[in-house]
Amino acid sequence: MWFISKKQNSALSLLAGWQRIALAVLACATTTLIAMPLLGHLDLANIVMLFLLTVLLIAISLGLKSALLAAFLSVALFDFFFVPPRFTFAVNDGQYLVTFGVMLAVAIITGQLTAGLRQQADASDTEALRTRALYEMARDLSGALMVVQVVEITRNFLRNVLNADARILLPDGTGGLQPCAGQETARLQIEPRFAIIAYEHGVPVESTQLASSGYAMLYLPLKAPMRMRGVIAVAPSHGQMEYLHSQRERLETMASLAAIAIERIHYVDVAQRTQVQIVSERLRSSILSALSHDLRTPLTALVGLADSLTVSRPPLGEVALETAVSIREQAERLAGLVGNLLDMARLHAGEVTLQKEWQPIEEVIGSSIKLLGRALAEHPVKVSLASDFPLLEFDAILIERVFCNLLENAAKYSPSGTPVEIEVQQRDGFAEVAVSDSGEGFVQDKCNALFEMFVRGVPESSTPGVGLGLAICSAIIEAHAGTITAANRPQGGACVTFTLPLGVPPTIEEELIPQTKDHQS
Amino acid sequence: MSEMTSGQTPSVLVVEDEKLIRRFVRTSLEEEGCRVFEAGTLTQGLIESGNHKPDLVILDLGLPDGNGIDFIRDLRGWSDAPILVLSARSHEKDKIQALDVGADDYLTKPFGVGELRARARALLRRQSRGGEEATPILVFGDVTVDLSRRVVIRNGEPVHLTPIEFRLLCAFLANTGKVMTQRHLLREVWGPSCVESNHYLRVYVGHLRQKLEDDPTQPKYFLTETGVGYRFQP
Repeated sequence: MWFISKKQNSALSLLAGWQRIALAVLACATTTLIAMPLLGHLDLANIVMLFLLTVLLIAISLGLKSALLAAFLSVALFDFFFVPPRFTFAVNDGQYLVTFGVMLAVAIITGQLTAGLRQQADASDTEALRTRALYEMARDLSGALMVVQVVEITRNFLRNVLNADARILLPDGTGGLQPCAGQETARLQIEPRFAIIAYEHGVPVESTQLASSGYAMLYLPLKAPMRMRGVIAVAPSHGQMEYLHSQRERLETMASLAAIAIERIHYVDVAQRTQVQIVSERLRSSILSALSHDLRTPLTALVGLADSLTVSRPPLGEVALETAVSIREQAERLAGLVGNLLDMARLHAGEVTLQKEWQPIEEVIGSSIKLLGRALAEHPVKVSLASDFPLLEFDAILIERVFCNLLENAAKYSPSGTPVEIEVQQRDGFAEVAVSDSGEGFVQDKCNALFEMFVRGVPESSTPGVGLGLAICSAIIEAHAGTITAANRPQGGACVTFTLPLGVPPTIEEELIPQTKDHQS
Repeated sequence: MSEMTSGQTPSVLVVEDEKLIRRFVRTSLEEEGCRVFEAGTLTQGLIESGNHKPDLVILDLGLPDGNGIDFIRDLRGWSDAPILVLSARSHEKDKIQALDVGADDYLTKPFGVGELRARARALLRRQSRGGEEATPILVFGDVTVDLSRRVVIRNGEPVHLTPIEFRLLCAFLANTGKVMTQRHLLREVWGPSCVESNHYLRVYVGHLRQKLEDDPTQPKYFLTETGVGYRFQP
């Protein structure tokens, strides 16, 4: 049945209304003409059957209107030509009224049935077409490599299949939504508030009031498995709102297809970026260690060779000795500088992971004073620290670096013989460490810039240095969640203060002391 | 090196790929009165150490043909000659590993001749003293320790040490001039189950400093090797 109607559809559905009516009239006339000579041989009941068949065929092929016309016409023709008295519309036998009634009823019912059937067939035909279009869209989306392509595929689908305009909005990274690139031709207006609601709550927002004014009336969230990827704003091209309404399910399917495509592209992007990052980080770290090795080896030879000159036997002459000492000092300074540069590069590259452990701070104070050795020789160091100061959690090597840099600075910028002071105390949940000298202090308005790289208190100072020391200190202290500040002491001299969080140190169990031992000693 | 017991010149093997560094290490050790052999690679180093049975090995950890750690393991298989490791700063892990597999001390590059000689001297002295009978009474600074009677005297006054403090002091005294990793000290004093409790060690070293050093914040004897461990230097 479905196939028949479809076949006839293809030929007859193109006919105009009046042609159909003419055809129906013609068919009825033909039936009458065929039945006329058969009147003597056939019962009237069978002739009725011929008319019924005609009405049925007309209903199937030409639709409800033609079928109704054919039904009335058949009744009239049958009555006029076949029912006695013939050639009048008068009816002798009341039974024929029943025949007329049945003919009419059959015509109407058949006509309606077939008409409904055809409508369904038509509808499922378009449905099939649209479903195929959706499949094709899904296929295209799975091949899309850029968001722009996704936008284009989605908009094409909407325009060609659902006869609707659309714009796709993507998050702009600041909580808002921006139309994605590649939609400059779209004339559709967007109501941003509706878009945001759809985006934030993940539900479709529909407003019929907006439809006529050139605004998008339906805002569908692009909901992907991981998170919301944007919003698609839709409006029917010619204001057929109900139609769009009926396609809601398909629209939502389309939106989730687009969302998944956008998410897929996002993760492909993330994966590629991570790959690049890993490669560049590996490169950076191998450059750093190669640099570190290649710079240190000649410096080690230089320091060692110059040093062996100063102690060589027989001793050098006074001038040569002085030269050898200077070479050694400069080489040591260079080594310190290289160390600082490499440290800074490591800290900046994020290569340093803190090896935090609970430990007494005086330990690193002592080791950094020891490490500086000659550089601090002319400055007595005064340390004031409570003997029961709690343990702190920090990376010993890095904090030692901080102390070395601060003590070295203090020694460098204060007259020889003056003391360098280190004071440690507790304040507001932090350990506060102040390293101060008796020099000229910092240039007043430069105190905070000092912690930036390559900034020096006095730019063209004759005191050697490039301004990395405090920048390194600042990076290290920040990594420990502390703060570092520079100031001048009221009594004169510079003072750098840094803090480290106190935290809750692990408990140290008291040692059980055998009483007998006490008496012995 | 008047302290050398046998009177014969001690021999030192230098394993280092950089020729200039080898050169100044050689000259400064020769001035100390040592016989010096050189090796530019690990393989050569192993051969030389087999041939000459050196009294001290100076080893650069970053050699082109292999890992210095493996060299130390190999050498420790048949020799207990002290090993002085040369390494760059910021490679604390390498140093700890080297010390844990049997190295005795390390020098951070760049280093001066004075430091090198002092370390070499200390290690050679330890080596030559190996055969001597251990004396129960040790003196450093103004402190006298009588190991047999477990008594510590400072400036003529007895100092009270808890048992753990005393064990720690003994561990230091037994490894004079040598770097001890935190792991090593913890194992020796607290036992093998406590090797992760670094803060205990730090606190007790602090106690020793407070009781035996003039200025505990600037110790002279119980030195911190930051990130690695401790060194006792009389």
